[in-house]
This record gives sequence, structure tokens and C-alpha cells, in this order.
Amino acid sequence: MATATYPPPPPYYRLYKDYLQNPKSAPEPPPPIEGTYICFGGSYTTDDVLPSLEDQGVRQLYPKGPNIDFKKELRSLNRELLLHILELADVLVERPSQYARRVEEVSLIFKNLHHLLNSLRPHQARSTLIHILELQIQRRREALEDIKRRREEAQRLLKESLATLDGQ
Amino acid sequence: MDIISQLQEQVNSIAALAFNTFGTLQRDAPPVRLSPNYPEPPPNPTEDPPNLAEQAKVMSAALVKAAKQFDVLVAALPPSEGGEEAQLRRIAELQAENDAVGQELQKQLEAAEKELKQVQELFSQAADNCLNLKKPD
Repeated sequence: MATATYPPPPPYYRLYKDYLQNPKSAPEPPPPIEGTYICFGGSYTTDDVLPSLEDQGVRQLYPKGPNIDFKKELRSLNRELLLHILELADVLVERPSQYARRVEEVSLIFKNLHHLLNSLRPHQARSTLIHILELQIQRRREALEDIKRRREEAQRLLKESLATLDGQ
Repeated sequence: MDIISQLQEQVNSIAALAFNTFGTLQRDAPPVRLSPNYPEPPPNPTEDPPNLAEQAKVMSAALVKAAKQFDVLVAALPPSEGGEEAQLRRIAELQAENDAVGQELQKQLEAAEKELKQVQELFSQAADNCLNLKKPD
């Protein structure tokens, strides 16, 4: 691995000298990577899944389960957030040295909110895919009808022209 | 912007309003007497008290308005019909339908191209005949 400021291109280009004459004389491109890989010193994973809150060490405030009612949970988290902000204001007035716990609770609610919104994204992606497929099916059907109509039109014109020619 | 991004933006703006509120209050609050042992703090408010109260009211109104806006956005979320499996099933059936329509389209296209070639061939023959019949005299 070259680590100079302006590294030269990798020397593999020499292997492709006769590519135009014989495409098989050069090595195949590398297969797609699976699992984790290292890029510029950082390790990435190919399996992009949203890590659950417990994995990040954050308590989950909304109930777990197969189907979550997102609207209800978002609304109740919003109420909790406002309540906690008010609590923070009260603590600052009366017992200012105990702000840390309240601030932590507010940030916990924010983390839960963002995690909930992020977990809506796969659902959104699938709905977008469904919408795109439906649009594509509709466009294909329209194209099909168009072709059928034009073919029939062409047949009709040919028959007419045949009749005209025979009539002559 | 799509609805989820709007919701995320709204959450971030609520957070920004909250810390702006607390920061302003903390910066502009006049000093307060903590214990009866120490004398009264020098009364020199840098920010006039009515202004401070006004600011606090405006800021808290903005915070509440942002929270209400968040509720409006949550109500605007599309109803989540079914779960993940229902969506995957729908995707599978749409894919099958797409394939079927695609194949039919392909067939029609091939038939149309064949007819086009036939017509072109006949036309070129007719044109040749015309040219051959019309001998220059």
C-alpha cells in the first residue's frame, strides 16, 4: 500500500497490455467484498443495519415489540421531552447543583426520538420501492397498449391501401 | 423534503430552541440572594427586568410552537399499513406482475418489429418495381 503524498497508480496496468486482442489474458476484477473491510484506516461493514439502542448503551424508552405504533410513541416522547425541559428549568431555579441528571434525561429522550425516526427509514425505503414498481408496471401497460394500437392502425392502413390498389 | 427528514429537522430545532432558551436565561439572569448571612448583591441589572421577562415569554412560546409543529408533522405521517412481511410480500407480487407485463411487452415489440420489416421489404420491392416500370424513353 503506497503511503506517499501523491502515490503512483498501482502497477497492475501492465497486466492489461493485450486486453484488446484477448480479453481473457488479463486478471478478472476482484469479487465484491463481504463482511467488514478497512478503508483509509477506518473499518466499515457491508451489512448496514441500524444498531439498536442497547448496543449503543442507551436506555430504550418506548416499548419494544414486533409492530410499534410510531405516531403514538413519537407523540408521547414529545410530551416527555417538554416535561423534562420544564423539570430542568425548575431544578435550575431551586436546586441548581442537580442539573446533570435532568440534562442526561433530556438527552436520553432526544436519542430515543432520533432512533425511532431512523427505524422508520427501512419502512420508507420499502414503500418507495413499492411505489416505483407500481409506476413502472403502469408505464409498461401504457406502452403495451400504445404498441397494440399502432399495430392495428398499421394493419388497417395496409388493408385500405390494398383495397384502393385493387380498386384501381 | 420527505416527512421523516422534516421530523428529524424539527427535533433538532426543538433542541436548539431549548438550549438557546436556557443559555439566554442563564446569561441574562440578575444575581439572586443565596443565604441570609451574605449581604444583598449589588442591584445593577444589565438587562432590564421587563425585557428579560418578555424574552423568556417569547422564547418559551417559540419552544411550545415548535413542539406543536412536531405533533402536526407526526400526524402527517402516512399510515403504516402492515409490517415488514406485508411489504415484502407486496414487493414480490409486484415484481412477478412486472415480469409478466414485461414479457408481454417484449412479445408485442418483437411482433411489431417483424411486421415493420415486412412492410419495409414490401415497400422496397414496390419501389423497385416502380422504378423498373418507369423506363426512361
